[in-house]
Amino acid sequence: MDLIIDNIPFLLKGAYYTLLITVVSMFFGLIIGLITAIARLKGNRFFRNVARVYVSIIRGTPPLVQIFIVYFGLVDFGIELGSLTAAYIALSINIGAYVSEAFRGAIQVVPAGQTEAALATGMTEAQAIRRIVIPQAIRIAIPPLGNTFVGMLKETSLVSVIAVTELMRSAQLLIAQYYVYMPFYLTIALMYWIMSTVFTFILNKLEKRLSVY
Amino acid sequence: MIQVMDLSKSYDQNEVLKHISLTIPAHQVVAVIGPSGSGKSTFLRCLNGLEMITSGAITVNNHHLNATESKKKQQKTIHRVRQDTGMVFQQFNLYPHKTVIENVMEAIIVVKKQSKEQAKTIASQLLKRVGLQEKEDVYPSKLSGGQQQRVAIARALAMEPKIMLFDEPTSALDPELVGEVLKVMKELADEGMTMVIVTHEMRFAQDAADRILFMADGQIVEDAEPKKFFSDPSTERAQKFLAKVNEF
Repeated sequence: MDLIIDNIPFLLKGAYYTLLITVVSMFFGLIIGLITAIARLKGNRFFRNVARVYVSIIRGTPPLVQIFIVYFGLVDFGIELGSLTAAYIALSINIGAYVSEAFRGAIQVVPAGQTEAALATGMTEAQAIRRIVIPQAIRIAIPPLGNTFVGMLKETSLVSVIAVTELMRSAQLLIAQYYVYMPFYLTIALMYWIMSTVFTFILNKLEKRLSVY
Repeated sequence: MIQVMDLSKSYDQNEVLKHISLTIPAHQVVAVIGPSGSGKSTFLRCLNGLEMITSGAITVNNHHLNATESKKKQQKTIHRVRQDTGMVFQQFNLYPHKTVIENVMEAIIVVKKQSKEQAKTIASQLLKRVGLQEKEDVYPSKLSGGQQQRVAIARALAMEPKIMLFDEPTSALDPELVGEVLKVMKELADEGMTMVIVTHEMRFAQDAADRILFMADGQIVEDAEPKKFFSDPSTERAQKFLAKVNEF
């Protein structure tokens, strides 16, 4: 127990990186996902296909492989990324594909009459999408996005393999130092669980607040 | 104001509108009636480009739309047509994430590029006109169907249209709420708005319209003054339809 308490600051620092990677990747993932969803639904054939292939590849390959490609693979093309940067990039691209699926579903659920009403008042299609369809789609997408977000939080543990000292790697470093496993793994499991629960709670609140109508 | 020349519309092999031609002068109130599936709504939706026409031509307020032109050119024309045309839908289609006044302000800000304050003033006046000034800050879901439809009319009027299109505006309403919507429409008609109304409200058509278009099977079967149409329809098709309607 003392062992854990002594090393709590170190673990908290790891948790901070886990959160940071989650939030940054989710932020860029949301942007990538929204653009991809619009490209798939409203783009011309070229953009539609690019978006479709992107989503298909990301969803059809292990995230660990994607992380290795970005961190180790890109070196072959002269692109050497720091491990944290590589983590941001790999996870943003990964999460973007899942976010786009959530957005795509949500955009399709917004009734066609909404777009028609907007067009009938003289808006262009782009204006109708931006002002009328997307705001409604975002609200619809919050529950599935919440799941994606919590999934992301846990998936960040994968970037421990490229030496990002987030929560998982923090534990591994401590284990290498003290040769005890269970206490550290249990502690980080608890920490992941707390973070997931807090996120879920915040997202539920957000969902309630946005569904005022 | 509106001129339709040899307009046809098909979905794949299915011809929904067949060679329709007519002229609607300014300030005329036209009621389009007929059995379901006769193409009434499709005809109305062709007038503001919610449906692309298959052949023929439409002129709305000096904007010429021709089916032989490129799609891009047609889209451009349609966009201009819509600036002069307001439309009211059967299902209201209010924006649920915006308050009543925001619904009305939206196009003034986005399309007319006016300031928020100006939009607010205009929207307030319009809501007053449809009798809903005290509901400005409420979300549409809190309103009755009749109130929602009146907001939708105010929203359409926000663009100061020269023509108003109504697609079965009272069909989704409870019977006791129909009157308040028809009253607003009647006022608009009395003010001289050019209106095309697809409706099942025969009495309203009789009272408020200057002209009845009776459609069946994608064609205008009868085009007459209300008095003539309801008392002495000249086609068998219209006689049968009116006999059915009068059964109730």
